Amino acid sequence: MRFRAKIVDLACLNHFSRVINTIAKLAKTCALRLTVSKLYFILSDKVANGGVSMWCELCQGNFFDEFQMEGVAAEHNEIYLELVPENLSRALKTAQNAKAVKIKLTNKHCPCLRVAVELPSLSSSSRMVTHDIPVGVIPRRLWNDFREPSVPDFDVSIYLPVLKTMKSVVERMKNLSNSIVIEANLSGEMNLKIETDLVSVTTHFKDLGNPPWASEDGCQSSAQSRDLESMAEARIDIKKLLQLLAGQQVNPTKALCNIVSKRIVHFILLHEDVSLQYFIPALA
Amino acid sequence: CILNCFLSLLVFGRAIHAIARISDEFSFDPIEKGLALRSVNSSRSAYAYVFFSSMFFQHYCWRAVSQPCQKEKQLSLPCKLIIKSVLPVFRCVNVLERNVEKCSIYTNINDHHVTFQLLCKYGVVKTYNLTCQECDPLQAVFARHMCPNILKVHSRLLADIMIHFPTSQEEVTLSVTPMKVCFKSYTEEDTDFSKTMLTEIQLNPDEFDYFQVGVDSEVTFCLKELRGLLAFSEATSVPVSIHFDVSGKPIAFSIEDMVLEASFILATLSDVEKETASQQPPDFSQRQERKPPWDGIAPNTEPAKPVSLLAKQEIKSIPRVTTREVTGMEGTAMTETEGHAMLGGEAREHCKDFKVAKASEIINLQILHHVVSYFYKRCIFQFHSLFFGAVSCKEDAISHTFHSLATASDTEEDFGNVQSSQV
Repeated sequence: MRFRAKIVDLACLNHFSRVINTIAKLAKTCALRLTVSKLYFILSDKVANGGVSMWCELCQGNFFDEFQMEGVAAEHNEIYLELVPENLSRALKTAQNAKAVKIKLTNKHCPCLRVAVELPSLSSSSRMVTHDIPVGVIPRRLWNDFREPSVPDFDVSIYLPVLKTMKSVVERMKNLSNSIVIEANLSGEMNLKIETDLVSVTTHFKDLGNPPWASEDGCQSSAQSRDLESMAEARIDIKKLLQLLAGQQVNPTKALCNIVSKRIVHFILLHEDVSLQYFIPALA
Repeated sequence: CILNCFLSLLVFGRAIHAIARISDEFSFDPIEKGLALRSVNSSRSAYAYVFFSSMFFQHYCWRAVSQPCQKEKQLSLPCKLIIKSVLPVFRCVNVLERNVEKCSIYTNINDHHVTFQLLCKYGVVKTYNLTCQECDPLQAVFARHMCPNILKVHSRLLADIMIHFPTSQEEVTLSVTPMKVCFKSYTEEDTDFSKTMLTEIQLNPDEFDYFQVGVDSEVTFCLKELRGLLAFSEATSVPVSIHFDVSGKPIAFSIEDMVLEASFILATLSDVEKETASQQPPDFSQRQERKPPWDGIAPNTEPAKPVSLLAKQEIKSIPRVTTREVTGMEGTAMTETEGHAMLGGEAREHCKDFKVAKASEIINLQILHHVVSYFYKRCIFQFHSLFFGAVSCKEDAISHTFHSLATASDTEEDFGNVQSSQV
């Protein structure tokens, strides 16, 4: 099992750092899956996570100048590692003006991702900063836990409002209630509602637009037959929603959510070269 | 009564914040030549000293107040202030300079009062009246010029290095050879590597304004305590000098310019592995100095006394001291070290695994150990305060940051003999 990669371009480095920062805000520990062409940050829906799950996919070519990987075996040319994304985020934080960043899988005292940052310095030779981030190697028998989640059979799919606005609304609601209801319909309307003994607050968004989903006939007909005004809703943990919104450092190209009434809310955030899916289950 | 006004609030505020990282209280000691602030942490493993000369202030006026009841002609004792009461005065130092037109400090030692007064914009006057307590004067003695390793670097560079370590990082190891300098996260044998992220920064000696490595060494010190000094030195734009020796000996970070000087002296972890298992004094594998770096602190004549003092402290660190650094042994001095050796022996039973204690837990036993000064033969002293000598009457040479002092309130006959030793 080998892995080494190098980033030389500052813009790519910053972009990669931003992705890692977002992941770090969403998960304390997650799995990193490495294939020849892609990197995936995966959080599977264990009870410990409160049922949330995350799937983030990046094309390595868009970030790394060099990328070499040898998986556990020829027919399974992939590597699954468990790591604390916050560590990676911290290692990259101070690399903002680096000449180069190299990431390598090593095994000194224990398996580590070694991030070596070459920084410019006043002297002839560069300053080298090395961070050894401990990782766990996830054995092949557990790889099934980290399969790509399928898009659920949703009732409503709708584009999200400007994330910044949504975040400030949810932030204020967080102080009043632990759970929030997201409801939306196929007419581009979304409401965020909280209700407590003392107060209920609803924020209405209009003209959001509904993404067209080209799907198999079965889904198509169920979606088509749905009343445009009828709201699909789910009550979710407000903190989890806020984590997702607060972690976004850059405005995504596309942001939408799929609501399965009373079951789960599926968020999809797309940037040019990164896609992030986040599932928040509905509260009982 | 003393009146002084600041030249730079930012610098003074940062000094207070730096000292705050060392301890909850500090000694506030206005003297003729300027204002000295000193602090030592509870485990005696970190000492901070900041001195603002009278030129730092726009106006500095100091008058000795004679106290008729004093036996000797002594300056008024410094007073002790609680950091928590002073910090609010200098909260948000960055903003302070813009809003505050003038800051004054008045002290009235008789009254045990220190007053900070800030004259702010729009006619707002903030007055902080703080009570202070008299305290035993503190002074650490550290022979910087005896250190074989000296690095001098702009504070910006040091800050740029330390930023790579997480704010929670407690200890950092500095490792030097004539060819390179390396700062890394401290690890010990039983560090759980699978849970700890380790950071290492390698630098070329070229990056330092001054680079002298007399002996390859690896010293581990507490980073948290240092961060305050880094912020302070950035405010002053004065380069930072680092004086150190081998592991176990203290490391000093100091800055000095025309109007102020500061030193933060931190204990470093001893290298336990190099310890001999026997309880005999040393088998010196290391270079020993004739004159110990920590000098001039009077020992106690009875070995028993140190034992009781030390007993309060972390027992774990004792063994290290007994087998190291027993220098300048003179006949009389042996009692002192034997006392330690005994203590070491007992302590050994407690920690057979020679676990290295955290830097912050270490007493700077170097000081205690080097109580064996060559003055010992001539004079008999009592400890005035734990590990530090008291400030002498002759407040000479403030320009020297450290001078060897020891004084006793009750055995003054030999006082005069001791004075010299500007280490």
